Amino acid sequence: MATGIFGIGITGLQAAQAGLVTAGHNIANANTPGFSRQQVVQANAQPQSSGLGFIGTGTQVVTVRRMFSEFLNLEMLNAGTQSAELDTYYAQMRQIDNLLADPTAGLSPALQDFFSAVQDVAAFPNVSSSRQALIAAATALQSRLRTLDGRLTELRDGVNQDLATTSEAVTTYARQIADLNQRIIVARNAAGGQPPNDLMDQRDQMVAELNQLVRVSVIVQDDGAYNVFIGSGQPLVAGTLAFGVEAMRDPLNPTAMTLGYRSPAGLTALPEASISGGRLGGLLAFRSQSLDPAQNALGRVAIALAQTFNAQHALGQDLHGNLGTDFFAVGDPQVTHPTSNGGTAQISASFAADAASALTTSNYRLTYDGVNYTLLRLSDHTQQTFATLPQTVDGFTLTLDSGTPAIGDSFLIRPTAAGASTLDVLVTDPARIAAAAPIRTGQGAGNIGTGVVSAGTVDSLDPNLQQPVTITFTGPNTFNVTGAGTGNPTGLTYVPGQDISFNGWTLQITGSPVAGDTFSVGPNTGGTGDSRNALRLAGLQTEKLMMGGTASYQTAYASLVSEVASKTRELEVTSAAQATIHQQARTARESFSGVNLDEEAANLIRYQQAYQAAGKVLAIASTLFDTLLEIGR
Amino acid sequence: MRISTGTIFDLGVQSMGRQTQTLLEIQQQISANRRILVPSDDPIASARVLELTQADNLNAQYGTNAKNAGNRLGLTESVLGQAVGLLQNARELAVQAGNGSLAPDDRRSIAGSIRALREELLSLANSSDGEGNYLFSGYQTSVRPFTATPAGIQYNGDDGERLLQISSQRSIGVSASGADAFMRVRQGNGYFVVAADPDNAGSVTYTPGSVVDAIALTGNDYRIEFTVTPSPTGDIVTYDVINTTTSATVLAGQAYEPGQAIVFDGMQVVLEGTPANTDAITVTPSGRQDLFATLDRLAVALETASEGEAGRAALTNFLTDALVNLDQGIDSVTALQAVFGSRMRESENAVDGSEVAGIQYRAHISELQDLDYAKAYSDLIRAQTNLQAAQQTFVQTSRLSIFDYI
Repeated sequence: MATGIFGIGITGLQAAQAGLVTAGHNIANANTPGFSRQQVVQANAQPQSSGLGFIGTGTQVVTVRRMFSEFLNLEMLNAGTQSAELDTYYAQMRQIDNLLADPTAGLSPALQDFFSAVQDVAAFPNVSSSRQALIAAATALQSRLRTLDGRLTELRDGVNQDLATTSEAVTTYARQIADLNQRIIVARNAAGGQPPNDLMDQRDQMVAELNQLVRVSVIVQDDGAYNVFIGSGQPLVAGTLAFGVEAMRDPLNPTAMTLGYRSPAGLTALPEASISGGRLGGLLAFRSQSLDPAQNALGRVAIALAQTFNAQHALGQDLHGNLGTDFFAVGDPQVTHPTSNGGTAQISASFAADAASALTTSNYRLTYDGVNYTLLRLSDHTQQTFATLPQTVDGFTLTLDSGTPAIGDSFLIRPTAAGASTLDVLVTDPARIAAAAPIRTGQGAGNIGTGVVSAGTVDSLDPNLQQPVTITFTGPNTFNVTGAGTGNPTGLTYVPGQDISFNGWTLQITGSPVAGDTFSVGPNTGGTGDSRNALRLAGLQTEKLMMGGTASYQTAYASLVSEVASKTRELEVTSAAQATIHQQARTARESFSGVNLDEEAANLIRYQQAYQAAGKVLAIASTLFDTLLEIGR
Repeated sequence: MRISTGTIFDLGVQSMGRQTQTLLEIQQQISANRRILVPSDDPIASARVLELTQADNLNAQYGTNAKNAGNRLGLTESVLGQAVGLLQNARELAVQAGNGSLAPDDRRSIAGSIRALREELLSLANSSDGEGNYLFSGYQTSVRPFTATPAGIQYNGDDGERLLQISSQRSIGVSASGADAFMRVRQGNGYFVVAADPDNAGSVTYTPGSVVDAIALTGNDYRIEFTVTPSPTGDIVTYDVINTTTSATVLAGQAYEPGQAIVFDGMQVVLEGTPANTDAITVTPSGRQDLFATLDRLAVALETASEGEAGRAALTNFLTDALVNLDQGIDSVTALQAVFGSRMRESENAVDGSEVAGIQYRAHISELQDLDYAKAYSDLIRAQTNLQAAQQTFVQTSRLSIFDYI
């Protein structure tokens, strides 16, 4: 009987001690990340059967359990990985947000300065300082485009760098989780199946931190080990084995870094679409959804400017009396031939005549299936199929230069990616700015009638453009045309104001000419004061030449700014919202698993009292024993 | 719900962080005086501001162009004004030379004055602007437009009109072709030219004539041929009007009465004096004259006028030609001057318009991106209050602990 009460007292003491220690452990770990509060699970001990019935034998500690909810933890992981992705994306976007629209460092001021300089040449075509200023403004525009493009390239390099360091961190986490798996299995076995709570907390914390880097999925094995999967189901941790990810050159686009999966079989690229969540997801989404289109859009402005400006410049005449040459140069579309291609095909791309208006900001993938080529526009996944090359699509022409493709070969085409970085100013001699038109019109000195000829416009580069042509009226309503290239037609009908076009020029005659009146077209020799072509060059600034004829250069650029700004704005809002969701998920998890110091203080008092009470039980048992001893004395 | 102690701290710190961020943003807005600090603050307005800034710059450029246009137009206009004055002088001299009482020496002296005027006109026509660009040489601003050759004054320029863009839809011509101004002026009354046959022996003189029915004009050449039939009661003078283009006789055997109008095919010609037999007057559609040559011819005619009835009639006819041609010159240069004057007004309007538009553009830009100070200050105060409240409640709630009582 006395042993019984001693025993009971001791079990009480032990249980209270366990409670005190656990409360102390909870208090000590109140600020440990990922810590789940622990609780002593107490149960009454097996009672002893006596004739009088079952008599209790005290208490026992069944286990120490951690307060951990799979569900709440998963909620927090999901919210966290998405929040990390959006935060990363947003942080990257903010860098280009302000870059593009800066009132001094953006493209707009340089573009405006350039066209102001064109206007100045139009106003003072034979003043060499205004011509010099135009070349300076063109060079400034070129350097501004290169600076902006350079900043975007720096960001791209930063993304590549980040991919490398982040994937190293992912690999490290994978190793640590595999290691913890090992220790947890050992500890559990050693403790007879009791859970090693603190190791499990550590592992869950590792998984949570890994989720901040990239979204992973976790499956719990029977032995309590975690299997962790990345991408489209590649195992990152399988029990006690860890695999890794590494940044590697994209086999389909050797100029870019992508994420590779390292397994015993070697390094294979993970499809970018399968990587989501966390820092890596954010970086890849930023690169493919915002950085590439932004750089392409900038390039497209440069290409459209170069193409349209060159085309108009070629229709003009410089101070030397020569036709205008290319004012800008811009690099051809980039075609990447992956090393994995089996065939020998060398594909090249060039800009089509309608590039300025037809180009998109997308990249393209050309694949060959043995019969047909399929061109996939990566921005919206529309595709076109054709059997032969060359083909012109979206403002660029694909040509098979040499060799033959093998089945399954693919080629990456980036039409506008290098536009901004390759724009060059070719005209460096101010005299070679083609401000004048190459032809001029005149009327015969002895014309009797009241016919007046317009100044004429140049529409195309005809070999006979500058050949002298005479229009001679044979009556009030008929005229003949003589001059090389015209075919010398006779008896043409005169309609006042109607276009008369030969040799690439167009003019109108109005009024009432009479028989014998002549009008002439000829080279604009010595026309240094003429600025007709400069005016047309200046007019390009507001002409809707881009995006299918709906946008000027400035509008196209403004739409880039607005797209970037809207995306940034959207990310600002969604990342804040996601942060709130993450916070709520964390609060929910914490409300279950987190330590409340007041609660632990109460537990301390509770277990202290239990300890004191159990002590009293022992004291009484001791008095009882003394009583028995006194009897025996 | 169970709240973990960590959550109390986390939430408190987070809410204070948010309030501080808001406060900082408002502070930045106030110090930059801009509502939009980065484009993502208002993507649509940012893109709009870019477009409006271009429009504003372009508008300012048009304003500058319009000012330049005004200056150049003004220069040309004043040169044309001087040319008109000069032609009027020449006209007065021509009228003076018609005075029958003048001696040949007087006429020679008038001829001298006319030659001087021609030189002056030549130098006006060769005027250049401040940058040395010739005003009247078309596109070839560095080519001297008018040079003297043995055959007379030659125009070396072209018909090009130099343009300046003064608004998005309007390019204005700021130069005149020298040919239009001085070399391609209409002759006669602008429709037809009356001239005496050089072989005329009589003393018929003519007036420039006029158009009585513009619709009836044919644009053909005519000849009024006189037939003088001697008779006892005096010579009977009749005339035929022959359309030499079609060889048709328009009027036949009409009795000639000096001072009476001869009307045919919409034209009216008044002849005076006494014709000799087979004398003729030609009527041809009006061609073009070169004002320098007109002055030259006038001077030569004055210097070489012969005496006698036929000579005097020739001089009278010549002066009639010269006067009507000078009138055409004055009209044509004045018309050109008026064109330049109205373009000057247009460019001045464009300057004003550009200033008004500029104010509107800038007001619009300011409306889109500038800060409303009153609102910003009230936001600032609210954010401050919020932050203070968050700080105070955090301190108070975090202070509560049961450990204080154990």
